[in-house]
Amino acid sequence: MNMIAGWAQSDDIIMMEQMPIFGGYCGGVEETAICDVATMLASFALFECDIHLDGPIHIRWGTTTTTETLQIAAHAAAALDRNTDLLLANQYYTLAGPCTEMCLLETAAQAVTDTASGRELVSGVASSKGVVKDKTTGMEARMMGEAATVVAGMEVSEVNRILESIIDCYRDQYSKPPLGKRFQDCYDTKNIVPTEEYLNVYDKTLKTLNKCGLNI
Amino acid sequence: MTVSRALNVFDSFDRFVTGSKVREDTWDYVTIPTNAMNMKEKWNISFDNKIIPEDDDLSDRLFHAGLEMLAVTGFYNTNLGRALSISEEEILEGIKSAPKKIRLGRGKEMVSCKSRHGNSRRKPIIQGGPTGASVSEDMFSPMMQSYAQEATVDVLVSGVLNTVSGHPATTNTPWEIKATLAEIRYVREACCMVGRPGMGI
Repeated sequence: MNMIAGWAQSDDIIMMEQMPIFGGYCGGVEETAICDVATMLASFALFECDIHLDGPIHIRWGTTTTTETLQIAAHAAAALDRNTDLLLANQYYTLAGPCTEMCLLETAAQAVTDTASGRELVSGVASSKGVVKDKTTGMEARMMGEAATVVAGMEVSEVNRILESIIDCYRDQYSKPPLGKRFQDCYDTKNIVPTEEYLNVYDKTLKTLNKCGLNI
Repeated sequence: MTVSRALNVFDSFDRFVTGSKVREDTWDYVTIPTNAMNMKEKWNISFDNKIIPEDDDLSDRLFHAGLEMLAVTGFYNTNLGRALSISEEEILEGIKSAPKKIRLGRGKEMVSCKSRHGNSRRKPIIQGGPTGASVSEDMFSPMMQSYAQEATVDVLVSGVLNTVSGHPATTNTPWEIKATLAEIRYVREACCMVGRPGMGI
């Protein structure tokens, strides 16, 4: 709270982060969404927050891209979106690592969810659950941005159909996700360009997404 | 009841100090799950198989369930072992004082983050970066460049330096401070290297 006091008195923009755990103290999807809404409201009403950074996380998989955690994030965002003008963000933790189709599909699924449920900012991507050194790259952020851009303005019922198709492509791999590659192994680090291998993976993912109805 | 004004962080601190004493395990294992379950039942919150809700009434009920959850439960401070209380009116007053728009970055790279509603045609702000994941010292600047150069990325979020000058950036040591300042410099350098010095970070 001392740090918040300093930022508030300096007129800094305060982004407050909170990640409710599905399957933890709160309980199931509905209870976790209720606690998520309550905590988001507390961030603004008690701590002078300007924009809230969410991130419902799965207690078993440690990611934000499972069906349950996407559902919690979407329902909580939509609840606040319909009843307030608050600025809401969400962050990305994928199971799979960079340079894999699963990582990009997980990212696309969440970008689609966050955009269509009314969030104002998306933040990512912490690939490999954000716990492996150097396993994050700009290409995942490209997918997050492109998926969000394409889905903005689409009918929510259509978005839900697309989402089901995307999640079906990766939900069977939770227990054995592809580990992917480190930044220095899938980028030319001198010229800062992705390797041909990663570009091919990206193109293959775009084809998969197109089949799901997301035409990037 | 009409409230005098929205709470600020100092008001909240004072309320924590005078709040009710609660054991952390009681809060975690009893208070939160019990109240969440009660709110679920009271407001009839039940999700179907849709990821994004298509039932506006459900979204409204969920909002009121969350609002009441905070008002009934309060908020716990683990350092003090105390919970504060806040009324629904105070929560709603706090929401009113929150911004509907913020500007991030400067110059050509400045972006405006404005309230969207429903699935607006206006895309959200794209914040690219490792989002707190651990990054090697020698890869930090190149990796941040890989985000800053992406056309869809509007603003950056940093990673965490694994070491600084070869030393682990251990919490509560001077190295942590050096690492934090080094991160900011590396991110700024990355923005400059791709010709976007004004990007918000």
